[in-house]
Amino acid sequence: MKTYSDIRSFMSAGWLQGAIPPILLVVLILIIEIAAPGFLSGETLMLLLSNTAVLFILAAGVTFVILIGGIDLSIQAVASLASVILAQLLPRIGLWAFPVAILSGLVFGILSGYVHVRLKVPSFVATLATGGVVAGIALWIADGRAITIEEGGRANTAWINGTVAGIPAVVLIATLIGLVAFFAMRYTRFGRYSLAVGAGEPAALAAGINVPRTKITAFAVSGMLAAIAGTILAARLSSGSPNLANQLLLPAIAAVIVGGTAITGGLGGVARTAVGALIISIVRIGMTFVGINIFAENVVFGSVLILAVAITIDRSKIAIIK
Amino acid sequence: MLTANIDNLKAGGASERRSALLGLARRLTNKRAAPLFVLIALCVLITIANPSFIEPRNLVRIANSAAVPLTLAMGLTFIILLGSIDLSVEGSLSVAAMVVVLLAANDANTNQFGWLAVFAAIAASTVMGLATGLIQTMLRIPSFMATLGVWFIGLGISVYMLGGSAVRLMDPSIRNLALARFAGLPLGVWVALGAFAFACTIQYHTRLGRYIMAIGGGEDLAELSGVNVRRVRILAFGLAGFFFGMAGVLSAAQLGRSDAVIADGRLFAAVTAVVVGGTALTGGEGGVVNTLIGVLIVTILGNGMILLGVSPYVQQTAQGLMIIAAVALSLDRIRLQIVK
Repeated sequence: MKTYSDIRSFMSAGWLQGAIPPILLVVLILIIEIAAPGFLSGETLMLLLSNTAVLFILAAGVTFVILIGGIDLSIQAVASLASVILAQLLPRIGLWAFPVAILSGLVFGILSGYVHVRLKVPSFVATLATGGVVAGIALWIADGRAITIEEGGRANTAWINGTVAGIPAVVLIATLIGLVAFFAMRYTRFGRYSLAVGAGEPAALAAGINVPRTKITAFAVSGMLAAIAGTILAARLSSGSPNLANQLLLPAIAAVIVGGTAITGGLGGVARTAVGALIISIVRIGMTFVGINIFAENVVFGSVLILAVAITIDRSKIAIIK
Repeated sequence: MLTANIDNLKAGGASERRSALLGLARRLTNKRAAPLFVLIALCVLITIANPSFIEPRNLVRIANSAAVPLTLAMGLTFIILLGSIDLSVEGSLSVAAMVVVLLAANDANTNQFGWLAVFAAIAASTVMGLATGLIQTMLRIPSFMATLGVWFIGLGISVYMLGGSAVRLMDPSIRNLALARFAGLPLGVWVALGAFAFACTIQYHTRLGRYIMAIGGGEDLAELSGVNVRRVRILAFGLAGFFFGMAGVLSAAQLGRSDAVIADGRLFAAVTAVVVGGTALTGGEGGVVNTLIGVLIVTILGNGMILLGVSPYVQQTAQGLMIIAAVALSLDRIRLQIVK
């Protein structure tokens, strides 16, 4: 029993939560290096990073929401809607389709935040509901079908699929977004407020922080980044579809949690999410490599999510676990 | 001067009390009856817009399409009454559908276990529910996270077992759940009504039902009164799994096959039905009768939108708005200081 409680206090030590994900990432890279030397270099490395980019952008957005102690279950719908809008508008208004698509994400992010904060609907139900609203709109706009981006439109998406100095543009975009998010979290008032709200909402309120505005901003950021991820996905696949990103909700949330951001909020950050997204990508490649059926991937991600939540959650913050 | 003041105060207090009482009465009647009024108003409006709504054929169609959501929502109601949420609806449903299709006569393998397949499917889903309960209570993580994981685990298992393709269900007696009729209604509808009766019995006449209400009303109080909260939670998730399993069998019988997308949109419809029926997300308020009304509202709205020629794609949007409206109207904001 003594060892059990020892393990427990050891596990709950803060430093460990921060250290596990990077260690895990290094171990995974080593395993791949041993199993297939030279696999993680040159072209395959770039492919891995480009595949991680979309996942990371989605996950970076959710990170903001999870940090304030909420959850966003609408990101896959928002990303799909953005892909549909992009595919529909590219032939008509060219590059302007990008800002319009991204703006739609911002609008629905604000809507989620507003429903959650002003109507006091718990975030998982609020975003489940707005996710349904958004998915319905996407189906309606696309008339239930996938829309191919034709030759004319593809000229405007080529820059996303291109490379700059040998590095894929998507990786550069993801890096840029990651850096902006990282510094916003660390050095802006909004970032500090988010952490404070996540760490203890009553204290944040008492300290005079505008909690509602901070929360709505977090949801807005999440929606906007989800839409950016959706446009990139559409550009890469040359198609927009109302269920294009449906398979990305679980990996995105798993990336945030596996990276070491606590579901209870207040602890974590975008850098951790980058590590988490890389872990998820490498595990995915590893699974195809080992020959695990692609359909069974969800089983692994689901289990990983549950385990990661169990490890990172701060139980002192919730009196009753519902 | 002083007495006048006191009199003023008294009068003010009395009228305040009266208006408070009035407000309370209004709120009670509103809360209890609002879903029913919405349902009746909906029926009347749709009938005015398109009289073919009340033709017997259409009513049977509504009953038929309400069967699966009703069975699902029965299970979900108990979880929401606990104050928790079960996002694994689609995972459990697709596992049950997969098991019944693969074990009964089908076009992918040579199994022919007949009704044993049905029991195996419900058992599989019940075990998944119990496992969810164990994960939630033993690992002590919030239910929305535990069930989010189980959702995709279930989906992964079922798609993997089906090999990513659709498998047809060929067992005639199981198919009869959807095809054969008794007293004008498909057997599946009677099964769903049976599930409703069973859920009523559990909620109003068993200890488990009372305990679930008690935990939803105040978990700390329930625990102090000697309720074994952990066991009740695990049993409730198992019970929910049982209902999800029944729904899985029903939807496999209705579709005549099982595939990767058999459960798509089911979670959403079930949550909408429970919430619109008036069961509070905070737990301890509402019940399976509310959910019956909620399921009817959701199904009839869907049917009515088709009758009125609205694009079926907008249905999800309408359901999403209904969730938001219902939750926003029903939340007890005094009890809810911080919303996460």
